[in-house]
Amino acid sequence: MKRLQRLLPFLSLIVLFISLVIASPHFLTATNLSSVVRQTAVINIMALGMTVIIISGGIDLSVGSILGLGGLSGAMAMERGVPIVPAVFIGILTGLACGFLNGFLITRLKIAPFIVTLGTLGIYRGSALILSNGLPVHKLPPAFSTLGEGAIFGIPYVLLLLIVCAIAVHILLEHTRLGRYAFAIGSSPAAAMYAGIPVAFHTTAVYSIGGLLTGLAGMIEASRLMTGQPTAGQGYELQAIAAVVIGGGSLRGGEGSVVGTLVGAFIMGLLSNGSDLLGISNYVQQVVIGAVIILAVAVDELRKRRVV
Amino acid sequence: MLVLLTLTDIQKRYGGVTALRSANLSVAAGEVHLLLGENGAGKSTLMKIVAGLVEPDGGTMLWNGSPVNFKNPADAARIGVAMVHQESLLAPQLTVAENIFLGREERHPLGWVARRRAVEQAARLIEQHHFPLRAEWRVEKLSPAGKQLVEICRAIQHGSSLLIFDEPTSSLSGAETEEVFRIVRTLRERKMGVIYITHRLEELRAIGDRVTILRDGAAVHSGPLQELTTAQIISHMVGRQVAATYSRDAHKPGEPVLQATGLHVKGKLHNVSLTLRAGEITGMAGLMGAGRTELCRALFGVDPLESGTIQLAGKPVRIASPRAAVRAGIALVTEDRQITGLALPLPISVNATMANTEAISTCGFLHLRRQNEIGADYIAKLRIKAQGPKQPAGRLSGGNQQKVVIAKWLFREPRVFLFDEPTRGIDVGAKVEVFDFMHELAGKGAAVLMVSSEIPELLQVADRIVVMRQGRISGELPRGTTPEEIMALATLANSEAETIA
Repeated sequence: MKRLQRLLPFLSLIVLFISLVIASPHFLTATNLSSVVRQTAVINIMALGMTVIIISGGIDLSVGSILGLGGLSGAMAMERGVPIVPAVFIGILTGLACGFLNGFLITRLKIAPFIVTLGTLGIYRGSALILSNGLPVHKLPPAFSTLGEGAIFGIPYVLLLLIVCAIAVHILLEHTRLGRYAFAIGSSPAAAMYAGIPVAFHTTAVYSIGGLLTGLAGMIEASRLMTGQPTAGQGYELQAIAAVVIGGGSLRGGEGSVVGTLVGAFIMGLLSNGSDLLGISNYVQQVVIGAVIILAVAVDELRKRRVV
Repeated sequence: MLVLLTLTDIQKRYGGVTALRSANLSVAAGEVHLLLGENGAGKSTLMKIVAGLVEPDGGTMLWNGSPVNFKNPADAARIGVAMVHQESLLAPQLTVAENIFLGREERHPLGWVARRRAVEQAARLIEQHHFPLRAEWRVEKLSPAGKQLVEICRAIQHGSSLLIFDEPTSSLSGAETEEVFRIVRTLRERKMGVIYITHRLEELRAIGDRVTILRDGAAVHSGPLQELTTAQIISHMVGRQVAATYSRDAHKPGEPVLQATGLHVKGKLHNVSLTLRAGEITGMAGLMGAGRTELCRALFGVDPLESGTIQLAGKPVRIASPRAAVRAGIALVTEDRQITGLALPLPISVNATMANTEAISTCGFLHLRRQNEIGADYIAKLRIKAQGPKQPAGRLSGGNQQKVVIAKWLFREPRVFLFDEPTRGIDVGAKVEVFDFMHELAGKGAAVLMVSSEIPELLQVADRIVVMRQGRISGELPRGTTPEEIMALATLANSEAETIA
């Protein structure tokens, strides 16, 4: 029974998938599925970083802005003649730097993550607008679109990237000291400190990893749009947090998993794709996704209450 | 005698675990009924049922002869049951006065809360009972003992007819314990019923009238206290014979391991010097707020030192954080194991290896199998009652949780062990085991500091006893001293000169 309940998000995903296969003939086609994958990959990769942050008991509201700033800085580098690969790394490193700054402010100033990242949400977004004068960057090398739109043997590159990131984050969480410390800090910050764990260092590392993955997501988004948009990623932070939470992550810290987050992100992706296919309006979609978030957390809370 | 509450054949299961098989209890007005039993015997569960926090799966509950069924704590409170909790259930952000009146604020006709009157009433109540509290203090700043006192005030103020004390004195010092006894006796005279849970066997005779003993979720004995010897009580509790007192040979102290000189922490420690030697258990006594926990925190790098030096094995060290302390070879078993000692949701094996992940990893990658082997090793070695190394630490009873904390430090192999109230809230059997570990550590050459408010325990375990008072070391006594000598130093009744200076 307990195991069944833990599998609930996964089972919901399968039920949702099967229902959509039955409901719409356009769902189970290579084109549609690859578009679902491409659409959700950006949120998915961000959500992986968010998983680590939430497990450590934190939250990062600034990831949407980091995505915008990361994508923009990579695009501006390309516009100025930097080759594609180094430019992509510039975008990723920008994300890393933003995440590091979040972690640094949280641990040095000892301010709640919610407040720090609410502040940097504005700072990073504003910086992107200042850098670009509010204008999108269009002059990108055509080959850059391969990152977001290319495929090998019919498998989109973004899916491969997502799989690589998911495996890496899973190993990080379950098999490294950094991951262990993230769980420890999230479960009980005081006990972690008293066990001699360098809490500030690892907290900063966790936010840096979140920033790095968001930077990568920013470059994918830029490649898909073939534009460096200073306003890209607005509102994505809430989708990333929702994916983690639907997948069983707890905002109290100490709980969450890569598989859960992937399932959470795909549930949201399928809901929005399914609604499009079935002609359900965008307005209704928002209501449905909101309700799913609350339902998922309510079910999870019930499970925990019964066990304790 | 009027019977207030009768419980018959109460049962409660949590998932696959049976907490209560068949518990019976009957409490009369004007008696202090002791509820005894080892940790995990079901005392807390039974009391949660009486207080309406938990609903039973079976059995009957009679209140003044008529059946009752509490759905929530408010039901129980309305009928006249109040509980002083072992773990504080106060709102930490509110003041002492606000907590005392929480949920029962007197109101102005317009719906305002009568704040000033509440503060005045609370102040009067505190003064009546001579508690070291102030009505306007915020509860989060209080020690565990202070919080307990607030809970007692709260229960008294609410004028209940049955009061449950769940180990009220486990975090209190001698004088405060006397005060609690005085309060309990007053309640008895007012014809209230009192259910009193305690692990301190030496307390029983001072206040108890009748006793019910639980073992493995069932009542195994019930009757007047005079008819039982302490040895009989213990054998009912554990189901076998156990020595009531702990005794062992003195250790031969070796070289100094930790030498602290002239430690100052603003407002907490004043010119504290202390030497801990290899192979010696140094006991530390003192009243609540004497600075014993603060000294542990300072030695462990939690609170920064204003001045003073710490030497380890003759070399000066700077301990600016718990990390530095752990690396230098100091371990601290804190008084608050659920907050600072363990990550409760995480498995036993993870908690046991938490302070020494270096030993189970290569280049930052963990060896999970090795971690679980270590967890299983310590479960066997320390006789931790658990389903396995993957069980969350939070599911264990108090004594077993404490053993996991000890396992965490044993795996780190420190040279200096600081134990702050190591036996708080753990049962007789586990206490003896904790003393055995301390004894074994000292035998292997570690320097051990044991802070305790339980003077009999210090006398049984420590090789010498250092006494603190108001942030200073007020004296040192050899093994074989008396409780009176310790209390004299702790209260320093005989030296007014120093207070004036």
